[in-house]
Amino acid sequence: MRRPPGEPRHVAYVYLLPGLVLFGAFVVAPLVHAAWISLFAWDGITPGEWVGLDNYEAIVSDAELRRAFVHSGVLLVFYVAIPVVIGLALAGAASRSRVRGLAALRTILFLPQVIALVVVAVTWRLIYQPTGWLGDFDLALPAVGLIGTWVAYGLCFVLFMAGVQKVPSSLYDAARVDGAGAVREFLAVTLPALRGEIAVAVTLTTIAALRNFDLVYLTTSGGPGGATTVPAFEVYQRAFRGGEVGAAAAVGVCVAAVIFVLTLTVNRVADRAART
Amino acid sequence: MIDRREQVLAHLMLGVFAVIALAPIVRILGMSLSDPGNFSVAWDQGHFGTYMRSSVLVTSAVVVAAGLLSILAGYAFGMMRFRGEQVLFYLFLVGLMVPLEATIVPLYYDLRDLGLTDTYWALILPQAGVSVAFGTFWMRAFFRSVPRSLVEAARLDGSSSWSTLWRVVLPLGRPAVLTMVVLIFMWTWNEFLLALVMVSDEALRTAPLGLAFFQGRNTTDEALLAAGAVIVATPVVIVYVFLQRHFIRGMLSGATKG
Amino acid sequence: MTVRALPALLLALLLLAGCGTPGGDSSDNAEKAEQADRDARKVDVAKAGPVTLTVWDQEVRGGQRRQIERLNAAFQERYPNVTIKRVAKSTTDLNTTLKLAVSGDRAPDVVQANQGRPVMGQLVKGGLLRPMDGYAEAYGWADRYAPVLLDLNRFSPDGQTFGDANLYGISQMGEIVGVYYNRDLVKETPKTFGEFEQQLASAKGTPISFGNLDGWPGIHEYQAVLNAYAPAGEIRDFVFARDGATFPNGGTAEKLQEWANKGYFTKNFNGVGYDPAWQQFADGAGPFLIAGTWLLADLSDAMGDKLGFMLVPPEQSGGPPQALGGESLPFAITSKSENPDVAAAYIDFLTNADAARVLVETGNLPAMPTDATPQGAAAEDIFKAWSDLAEADGLVPYLDYATPTFYDDITAAVQRLLADRTSPDDFASGLQDDYETFTGSL
Repeated sequence: MRRPPGEPRHVAYVYLLPGLVLFGAFVVAPLVHAAWISLFAWDGITPGEWVGLDNYEAIVSDAELRRAFVHSGVLLVFYVAIPVVIGLALAGAASRSRVRGLAALRTILFLPQVIALVVVAVTWRLIYQPTGWLGDFDLALPAVGLIGTWVAYGLCFVLFMAGVQKVPSSLYDAARVDGAGAVREFLAVTLPALRGEIAVAVTLTTIAALRNFDLVYLTTSGGPGGATTVPAFEVYQRAFRGGEVGAAAAVGVCVAAVIFVLTLTVNRVADRAART
Repeated sequence: MIDRREQVLAHLMLGVFAVIALAPIVRILGMSLSDPGNFSVAWDQGHFGTYMRSSVLVTSAVVVAAGLLSILAGYAFGMMRFRGEQVLFYLFLVGLMVPLEATIVPLYYDLRDLGLTDTYWALILPQAGVSVAFGTFWMRAFFRSVPRSLVEAARLDGSSSWSTLWRVVLPLGRPAVLTMVVLIFMWTWNEFLLALVMVSDEALRTAPLGLAFFQGRNTTDEALLAAGAVIVATPVVIVYVFLQRHFIRGMLSGATKG
Repeated sequence: MTVRALPALLLALLLLAGCGTPGGDSSDNAEKAEQADRDARKVDVAKAGPVTLTVWDQEVRGGQRRQIERLNAAFQERYPNVTIKRVAKSTTDLNTTLKLAVSGDRAPDVVQANQGRPVMGQLVKGGLLRPMDGYAEAYGWADRYAPVLLDLNRFSPDGQTFGDANLYGISQMGEIVGVYYNRDLVKETPKTFGEFEQQLASAKGTPISFGNLDGWPGIHEYQAVLNAYAPAGEIRDFVFARDGATFPNGGTAEKLQEWANKGYFTKNFNGVGYDPAWQQFADGAGPFLIAGTWLLADLSDAMGDKLGFMLVPPEQSGGPPQALGGESLPFAITSKSENPDVAAAYIDFLTNADAARVLVETGNLPAMPTDATPQGAAAEDIFKAWSDLAEADGLVPYLDYATPTFYDDITAAVQRLLADRTSPDDFASGLQDDYETFTGSL
């Protein structure tokens, strides 16, 4: 007897199982395990020692760890805010004027996104070499940030262009008939329409900002003197070089938590704004 | 009417930022080509030939495994109803956001205990797991877009869920599958942290890892380093140039691991 | 059983699977390693059958690369049944990836593990290195080295005591960190520290070529000046964590910061790499370069007879020579190696009298006494300095050996000191605090 379509079917679990097992074993289980390890002080070699929430407390009290998260905050400006602004400006400009070669521009602007961060790091390290910025205490972090900006603004532009093209031209016509200039038109028509895309852009670039181990490891190794250390780098440094595996796990869990919170917040805000 | 000044300004802005996007890439390309012999030096003495082979092996395995499992799981989510669907869906969604930085520590020690570190499995399994999260999400969206009538017609014809999937529904999803493949390919090829931690044996080094150590060893010959960098970046760039629509569409969906 | 319970059950199972104190099964590594040492013996490599030795080293610079390539080729020629699989990395990359590699399942056989607590100490603590005292006796290594050179590679099996107990590695080359000078720009080498400073003040170009992007060259600059302010005994006590030792300073930090502020170093040195810096010196950027004897071959290739080498002069003329130095990274055998006897024979081959000759020929300074004569004026300077230091017992070890994190602590602190971001007093007290955090746990 066959089930009529629409009723819950058990065969679904069979289809689901392999993927679920792989996902569960290599994403979910390690996350749980990381939370467990973060409750210990462990050097990775000898048996660990229970310390409860001390590793999390250290994130607030240890100057170096605190600094890593502060640096992440600074990098959010370079990885998220500036690329979004550039993307909006470019999309706004392209939406008003008929731009020749838009497809080619899109291809070029998006290119930094597909290049391995290792290659990006090697390339930019060579570019920065004569300036010595990567070794300057004050300039190293912005220098690293600018690399992030370079990687991200193309993504934002492409995202916003796709959003702009969904806007009915009648809205633009109406604005122009009203005599709106470029800026007013942008604020009144383009920007509100792009709320969803902005949310996506902010989410993607924020995640990239928090996951920038590759760049930091290959350009500055967190230096000089810790001026460019970020949580992602501290995870690696503490777990595999310093023998503080529990602390590293705690930092990793925090990075995941920050990503969750930021992603949810951004999407909540975008939803609410869209509803008004 | 939009005046000419604005038109010029728009073109100027876009042009400037396009040049900025392209300039570093052109520069590194130029440096590598200043002595084309560098490419074969990098390939042989720099061992980039070996590294590329490793990357091809790992990436292919991940793409095939994750792609297949994502199609299956996405099919279940997109076209079937089952208890626990909501919970499991949210689980995948949350899993999409979990960064490797959070799981790398336990992954390393667990895989080491299983004796899998310094093997390709240590690179394939975790990346397949992460890619399945994205792939399932992506394929689910596709499957949900398939008209129900098609499926019901197949069912009334006596087709099983398996043959419905492969003979009826999936042929419609070539673009979607291609996009998924292309994105998983890019993320896996470019992955660095996982390789750095899991692999110490030089024979198993993937291309990005090889480049990182090449930079450390090679402090004097910049052109050679540039050649290595170009070798590592080229496969993904080539695929991108031909299939950019798929790249962009996939990443714009927002359901990516960033 | 509802499906809703399934995820919860899954989670519970996962939790149980991950439970248990992390690392709970590694507590007997050290015992196993020691047991193995008691079985050490001298082996006839030719009769050992086909063997592949995986060796991790950081001999990537000019002279070092030449010597290891020659010796590896010679070893494989003498013993065709042995294949040496060599993995060469930069020093930083090696130190970063060594722990992971050595604790894995397919660990290399022989590794260059930096002396001191950060690397060798940690590896010993985890039972990952084989004690080599048995081999030392079989091959007679005690006759090959001055005692201090062996002590630098000694640890107790729990990794707590440094400089004593079991031997975990031996080194090929001696190392001195001194001052290379350009004979075209330095007519008369300074005999006192005061004269040295005068020459710095009146130098044309960049007085001291220096690039601290990697962080560790700063240690050399600091310790070069330190030798004029602190006696060798005080520095050694600190490095080996003897009771009551304090971070040696005595005015060094202030002097070094003064030099940085006066512009004696390469412009923007924090962003300049180590190799670009010495290359600039070789191109004639200035009179002096504070660096180690490992650069002899590269600098000689570039500068020929223009190159000279001297120690940082003492405060008073004719005072005893004192310099930062010791030996190159020791070769050690991992506990997981399946060919420890062949590995020991290989290490012996790298450090015997023939090897010493090869080292000299390729422009290096052997740690073992040798009658091979060096070519080139700078090489002669170095060999003389080495024997002077040996006679006066003036070799002082690297400060970064002192605690497991001291390499990171001191490199970051010196970077801040030289950038005028911290006062000399804060610099010294900060490092003293880092040091005491560790020694308090001993």
